[in-house]
Amino acid sequence: MLSRVAEKLYWLARYLERAENTARLISIYNHLIMDIPKGSEPSWMILIDILDAREQFEYRYNSETEQNIHRFLIERSEEQCSVPYSILQAYENVRTTRDTLPQEAWEYISELRLYVIQYSKQSLARSKRLAFLDEIVQRCQMLTGLFHSSLSRDEVYSFLRIGKLVERADMGIRITDVGAQDIMDREGALKSIDQLLWGALLEALSAKSAYRRMKGPVVDKEDVIELIFQAERFPRSLTYCLRELRVELMRLPNSEASLKKAHKILRILKSYDSRQEVYLHEYNTNLQKLLRELGVSFSKTWFQRDGL
Amino acid sequence: MSKPEQRFYDELTTSSGKARAGCKTIHKWISRQDQASWNTYSAAAELAVREMGISYTLYSEGENIDRAWPFDVVPRLIRNHQWKKVSEGIKQRAKALNLFIDDVYNEQAILRDEVVPAPLVLDSPNFRHQCVGMSPKHRAWATIIGMDLIRDELGHIYVLEDNMRIPSGVAYMIENRELTKRILPEIFENHSVLPVDDYISALYETLSSLSPSKPKTRPNIVVLTPGIYNSAYFEHAFLAQGMGSELVEGSDLFVKDDEVFMRSVAGPVKVDVIYRRVDEDYIDPEAFNKETMLGISGLMRAWKKGKVAIANAPGSGVADDKAIYAYVPDIITYYLNEKPILKNVETYQCWKPQELEYVLKNISKLVVKPVNQSGGYGILIGPQSSPLEQKRFSALLRENPRDYIAQPTLALSTIPTISNGNPAPRHLDLRPFVLSGHKTWVTSGGLTRVALKEGSLVVNSSQGGGSKDTWIVE
Repeated sequence: MLSRVAEKLYWLARYLERAENTARLISIYNHLIMDIPKGSEPSWMILIDILDAREQFEYRYNSETEQNIHRFLIERSEEQCSVPYSILQAYENVRTTRDTLPQEAWEYISELRLYVIQYSKQSLARSKRLAFLDEIVQRCQMLTGLFHSSLSRDEVYSFLRIGKLVERADMGIRITDVGAQDIMDREGALKSIDQLLWGALLEALSAKSAYRRMKGPVVDKEDVIELIFQAERFPRSLTYCLRELRVELMRLPNSEASLKKAHKILRILKSYDSRQEVYLHEYNTNLQKLLRELGVSFSKTWFQRDGL
Repeated sequence: MSKPEQRFYDELTTSSGKARAGCKTIHKWISRQDQASWNTYSAAAELAVREMGISYTLYSEGENIDRAWPFDVVPRLIRNHQWKKVSEGIKQRAKALNLFIDDVYNEQAILRDEVVPAPLVLDSPNFRHQCVGMSPKHRAWATIIGMDLIRDELGHIYVLEDNMRIPSGVAYMIENRELTKRILPEIFENHSVLPVDDYISALYETLSSLSPSKPKTRPNIVVLTPGIYNSAYFEHAFLAQGMGSELVEGSDLFVKDDEVFMRSVAGPVKVDVIYRRVDEDYIDPEAFNKETMLGISGLMRAWKKGKVAIANAPGSGVADDKAIYAYVPDIITYYLNEKPILKNVETYQCWKPQELEYVLKNISKLVVKPVNQSGGYGILIGPQSSPLEQKRFSALLRENPRDYIAQPTLALSTIPTISNGNPAPRHLDLRPFVLSGHKTWVTSGGLTRVALKEGSLVVNSSQGGGSKDTWIVE
């Protein structure tokens, strides 16, 4: 497989996963806000913080209103953390790799792009927002399903899979970091809504039903973090993502350096113990750093074309 | 349905308004539709084109825009017994043209025998000195040729152009069929139509037959594209995907020890056949344009040493010169000792003084074309031009007579095409594709291009043309 194509496939999968995760995150947050009594709801800015876009947001807007935040995330295709931006990037990457993908991929992503262009501006109102976001999630999953069910397990698949797993792990860390931080900051103040908050965090990672099956209906902070970090069988847990990543890496040529880095992240995940006093934020920051290094290692091994 | 104008040949309807032979069912079907149903079909077509992502790219004011492919839902029918004869003519022409190219880069017998004037070939910018002495496998120079065929007012078929450099349109031919199947599945019930999607496997086999080495596994064929900003990028990707080949850009390839490799995630991989969709000026800075960013240094060396096949071979354009066009019937007779099956359009060669005189006198009736351009650019259509334009062209002709030819303005045939919700006659042509390798192969039909504006003779999609599905029917 061409290095240029491998890189595009990797980013295609990352942007597709990012669009889906961002859309789900916004949607869940909207649900959460509606469940919480007026006055005690957390700030909408959490969304911006999870996506690490505070600076950009403040540059663009003067006030942190619900409307502005949604405009920023749903309507503005030029903003890097917006849903439309990710979709358009995914589209551009399919456009230039479509010869390696199932034919329907181009059709689906073209439709998705048209959908976003056509509806994002009309979907800011609360009444429209959720339907729009759900549609995005569904269509992204349709593409994922298409890849899963029709691609040969060759390098095309591996690079798509790697992109998806890295992005998923990245979002898992972001949500845990900001979300958990916020919940812990307000802990005790409003015990009654704690359950709701932790539940939402699970849902943002599409992990609620998995949690119920494993731990029961009562949402407990330690259990939540343990699931997100360590669950071996849940496909959105960090441990699962990194293990799968390791499987794909082993299929690819010259993957030794990247494998080493993946091992290291897995070791750190395993060492997490919720009963001990851990500074979650520092722990997350370290994970994020290692994940970035892993991306750099991919780039050095496969994507750079001057070396040959 | 409005009656077609009498001075044109309508392919569906006779001058007395009856259906032509073989077109009865479709004629009846068309007359049963009303404006509402046409609007429904057209809307469905537009949606399908967008969903299937069938696009072409246009440059406009420094920006490139993806345009949806303009597709007309009414298919064009050609009867199989007639098509068989035409396709024999196409093959004959392709064989002769390839022999001609091989000859002019080697023996030059046809020039010595003065069948074609030597200066016309040797002084042409399309004659590439870099190719002298080369003879590719199967003498397949122009592996893929897109011929433009037209019908005159009597319905006779002529060849208007032989596009032998990097002809495009074949993906649209295949997609047009896909669109018709989606939008009008019911009209297939009463017709037996020859399939068109066998083109891709024929192309694959043809390209494989050019592979220099006999690898144990399948040869490594790549499609070389200038990139996403090229107007035909959609097609490049479509063909690469269809053949299961890599779609490469110049920077993905490199030459080492006269072998061509592609940069892959597993390291360098040898390339056997390059299906080139980049203009030859830009394929190798060592041999051609030194400024090119798209090229692969050393590619020509590798090709001349027979380490890699390139389709179409560099230098093929020597036969795709409108000044050579006039000699194609002679070329056929010279190499094949056969009578040409397909006719040429009468052509005035402006480099001949007496013909130039004629052209200048009759410029308002003629079509003047530069010998070296394609895409319908830089031409003058006499009857539709202003005196000022005619004056400007006359000056150009006097200055560089070798650069122009002229042809009578052809009364291109018409076919009902949906315009403002109703079928109306529009002019059209046909571009079949012919493959030359271990054998010669022709598409069933080809790409029908249709001028969407009333009275217009320009069918190029870059200039407001559309296209139709083309049916070869029993």
